[in-house]
Amino acid sequence: MKKLCLGIESTAHTFSVGILDFDGEVYSLINDIFMPEEGGLHPALVREQHLNNFMKIVNRALSVAKISVKNINLIAFSQSPGLGPVLKIGAWVARMLSQVLVIPIVGVNHCIAHIEIGRLKCSIEDPLTLYVSGGNTIVSAFESERYQIFGETLDLPIGNMIDSFARDAGLQHPGGPKIEKLALESKKYIPLPYLVKGMDLSFSGLYTSAKKLLVSTDFNKKYNLNDTAYSLQETAFAMLTEVTERALAHTEKKEVLLTGGVAANKRLQQMVEYISKEHNARFEVVPLKYAGDNGVMIGWTGILRYKAEGGHEIAETIIKPKERMDQITVPWRSEN
Amino acid sequence: MNSDIYREKLIHKGAEANLYYGQWFNKKVIFKRRVPKRYRLEELDKRIRTERTLNEARALIRAKNYGVNIPQVYEIDVQNSTIVMKYIEGEKLKKILRTLDNNKKEEYFKKIGRDIAILHKNGHIHGDITTSNLIITQNEDIFIIDFGLHENSDKIEDKSVDLHLFKRVLISSHGKDYEVCFNAFIQGYISECEKENKNECNLIIKNINAIETRGRYVKSEDRL
Ligand SMILES: Nc1ncnc2c1ncn2[C@@H]1O[C@H](COP(=O)(O)OP(=O)(O)O)[C@@H](O)[C@H]1O
Ligand SMILES: [Mg+2]
Repeated sequence: MKKLCLGIESTAHTFSVGILDFDGEVYSLINDIFMPEEGGLHPALVREQHLNNFMKIVNRALSVAKISVKNINLIAFSQSPGLGPVLKIGAWVARMLSQVLVIPIVGVNHCIAHIEIGRLKCSIEDPLTLYVSGGNTIVSAFESERYQIFGETLDLPIGNMIDSFARDAGLQHPGGPKIEKLALESKKYIPLPYLVKGMDLSFSGLYTSAKKLLVSTDFNKKYNLNDTAYSLQETAFAMLTEVTERALAHTEKKEVLLTGGVAANKRLQQMVEYISKEHNARFEVVPLKYAGDNGVMIGWTGILRYKAEGGHEIAETIIKPKERMDQITVPWRSEN
Repeated sequence: MNSDIYREKLIHKGAEANLYYGQWFNKKVIFKRRVPKRYRLEELDKRIRTERTLNEARALIRAKNYGVNIPQVYEIDVQNSTIVMKYIEGEKLKKILRTLDNNKKEEYFKKIGRDIAILHKNGHIHGDITTSNLIITQNEDIFIIDFGLHENSDKIEDKSVDLHLFKRVLISSHGKDYEVCFNAFIQGYISECEKENKNECNLIIKNINAIETRGRYVKSEDRL
């Protein structure tokens, strides 16, 4: 029988468990996503939901995979970065399982996991990655033993910015897909602030201006909600594409990977694909199931680290809410 | 354009602009042309290219007043989003960094730190300090180029971001030389900036670390 890993994702709104074997074949993936009724992501509420549900999720993942917990050989969990109280739950569950089953445990950086699952699922070697989600906006590539950060947001993450705008516009969470749909109904561009600094971006000015459009007296006279959604998307995505192109020109990578929850947006895909072609780079979008936060990506990255340098001691499994992906080496990748 | 002005060859195709080497009334020049980007709306694209061209030309001209080496602008053609500037003969720092010994690295980066501090002191934020945007000439003058993302500002935050961007470029592209180079850079920066206002200088440097932990979940609880 092949060796099996159980991966636990618990950094933000999603508590997820994935079971896969050491060759990357997936047996099950179960997600439980916190949906705020109003407002954003309050750690205390998320934590409560995850605490209530984690055992159910673990058990469901095992039963869907038709695997007894005794057959699991490795536990991987999201150790960083994320909301402290939420990270802790994943770490508790992982330590508990590892100690009860007497099997190795390995902590994983969530951002690196997004890239690794993309490399696996898209059969891609050495991509420049644009990772766009509710909590992260990062342009990264492998260089000098690490996943280096070439560009990132200086303030709001893109997904958070769009969801906040959607909320201001009275749309239900999650707002991203709704904004994408509304934008398709418009061709009227309202100028909005476009702010790129080096390969970094700033979305707070854009957000403030877009929000003002909603309460202006011109709203629903000179322009409507579709137009504001369209203008917000066009501006924000052009910024993301520009920094990706800058990083691509800079690193001269031959592959581009789009991942994270916002990767689902067709307009963003189209833009990033365009610049990839211009630079003769292969373009891939991570399959949606694995683009959002999920336990499989944690499991897979855990397997990679375990194969390279073994598991972690329990003392090494403390959570690191602020750890950047460029702070740790990735011994399973060689210099190219 | 007439026969006194001509482009000889394309020397660089960047993410934003095409750079041509050429002649302008017997002077060796660079034509920097910002090309249309078809992934973004035409209207937005035109606005960005025009803004950046004007912005860069203005910055090149204004920032030249403080003794920092910056190429002279000869002509601006906003219609075609093109700037004609003096050709600086030399090598990009990016290309030669590895070949330098530690003393040279320290010497150059201290000088760069002082230059950036001088620009900051006078309200000029470069916006894209990288080792590709620094040219070292034969007699070891250091030229600062590429002012497309320049901003006028006296804010501590903007200065810190400028330094943070450079720090990250050094980490991501010159990992092995990062420490020597960045330390020397900061040393040079401080030596110049504390002449003016020691307190502010400290705040600018401290704020670099604060910036690094932003843009992530870490603090704002109501964020998704
Ligand atoms: N005035 C100049 N003299 C000599 N070389 C230049 C000059 N301006 C730009 N270059 C060269 O062209 C490259 C790209 O120019 P830059 O202005 O930085 O545009 P980009 O936006 O593409 O980075 C530089 O890295 C440098 O090698
Ligand atoms: Mg440049």
